[in-house]
Amino acid sequence: MKNILLLALNDLAIALKNKTLLLVLFIPVFVFISLNLVDSNDPEAAKIRIGLIQDYAYAAEITRSIEAAEASIAVTWLEDKEQGLRLLNEHKIDGVFTNNESDRLALLVLKKESLHTIAIVQSFSALQKAAEGHRPSWIAEIQSLHEGNMQRDTLPTWILMVILLVGFIILPAQVAEEKEKKLLLGLLQTPIHEAQWLAAKLILGMVLIIAATLLLHLLSNFWPKHIFSYFAFILMGSFCFSAYGIFLGFLCRSQASARTLGVIFYLPHLLPSAMADVSQKLTSVAPFLPSYQLYEPLRSILLEDGSMENMLFDGFYLCLLGSLMFYLAYRLIKKRWLM
Amino acid sequence: MQLQVRNLAKLYTQNRGLSPTSFDVAQGELIAIVGHNGAGKSTLLKMLANWIAPDSGDVIIDGVDLRNRAAAVRKIGFIPEDPNLFDFFSVEYNLNLFAKLSQTPLLRVEEVLNELNLLPFRKSKVQTLSKGLKQRVNIGRALLANPPLLLLDEPTSGLDFEMTREIYRVLNTMHDAGKTILFTSHRPEEIKNLATRIMVLHNGKVIFDGFPQEYFQSEIHAELYS
Repeated sequence: MKNILLLALNDLAIALKNKTLLLVLFIPVFVFISLNLVDSNDPEAAKIRIGLIQDYAYAAEITRSIEAAEASIAVTWLEDKEQGLRLLNEHKIDGVFTNNESDRLALLVLKKESLHTIAIVQSFSALQKAAEGHRPSWIAEIQSLHEGNMQRDTLPTWILMVILLVGFIILPAQVAEEKEKKLLLGLLQTPIHEAQWLAAKLILGMVLIIAATLLLHLLSNFWPKHIFSYFAFILMGSFCFSAYGIFLGFLCRSQASARTLGVIFYLPHLLPSAMADVSQKLTSVAPFLPSYQLYEPLRSILLEDGSMENMLFDGFYLCLLGSLMFYLAYRLIKKRWLM
Repeated sequence: MQLQVRNLAKLYTQNRGLSPTSFDVAQGELIAIVGHNGAGKSTLLKMLANWIAPDSGDVIIDGVDLRNRAAAVRKIGFIPEDPNLFDFFSVEYNLNLFAKLSQTPLLRVEEVLNELNLLPFRKSKVQTLSKGLKQRVNIGRALLANPPLLLLDEPTSGLDFEMTREIYRVLNTMHDAGKTILFTSHRPEEIKNLATRIMVLHNGKVIFDGFPQEYFQSEIHAELYS
């Protein structure tokens, strides 16, 4: 145990020296700052910004309705269409209204399928219904199962990203570096056992992941209801993917090849799991990836107040895969693979 | 016999590696293993140091089978050609770490720093040291656990004249202290007055094993290094 602790502390000191620790802690800070910029509560930022051209003859009821909705629509009067195009390209307005041939409005936007376009269309449909005295919309209210803001909603994805980053990018490179510089062989000239060296690397991975996760929660000031279940899955996930990363490191002779192999594993594991919600095809593929067995429980615990009782299979799967990877890494270190 | 090697072999390809080799080494011998690049010198030392697994053969050190790694590593100090130290950290940090892992008292670090004239560099980061100094730190690391057998792979490779002399001074000191030493070199003239025995490897086979005087008078030396 003393040897494992010594080696783990040495690994952490290396992580500090080569700035790996800073990278892992930078990610939560970056996420926090960028999401705070996106998730702004500023009412001005939530307004739809449209441009109307001074020389165009808009219907009086349209301009009246727009002026009456000044709380949600900001109007910029433009000298001509060219000025509108310029402001649109500079992202200073979201759309420009011109007349089309049948004297109805034509909306000019940067992208047809964007959220801004949808917001403009929805707002103007509502304004039109109000102006024409129609009955209110069939949908009176939208209720959401997931309460919270973008920070909370994206938390499972960020946590998965951090775990996979440590597992697939940082650890393989560190293992391969120690092989490449013959440091591992040097350490094995002492009476330490191979499994102790592997355990120290596992501890390094788990400490980095837990530190980053903790910082993410501290910054977002959000803690799950079932904290024990959550912590158990963070531990199991960090164990599984740290062991996975150590194994990948043993398949490479150099740091450079470990980084390449790491990215090859990182992206497929990250994308389907984190983006499964937005694609039917990805939803059907994602469960085949081990990262999904971590992402789904995390999502459920964080966003739906789920608890571990319904996720025993996922936990078992992560522990089994982690143990298998640890065993394979042990076999490779015994064989002095590519050292 | 302190070291018994029986039919030790490792073949990378048909002509590269080490063919089955057997020899004994008595305590206190200072053996130079000589040969051209690719002769099998490093392969032999790395197998003795447990760095690479042999295809076949047995190695017994002080009655301990090399396969019993935990016990065997206490008997061997291996110094590879390129120093393998934690570059980010100081000389002292490196030696302390390896002393702790070898369960050696930290007082021994002071002794080693003193023996190898490394006291002025104890706080220096390894990455700032010259290759010769790094090599001395590497030797210091191997000496921490006070192993009876030292293996050095090309200890003077890439070193200038002064540093080479310093390394040979260290080897002599260790030898005088009763240690058994095996080191490789492809510059036999350099070790003429150093080794007590010379083994010559050629294409993975031992072609000479005897006293230095005999070797330098033999045709083998003339053929290999003419």
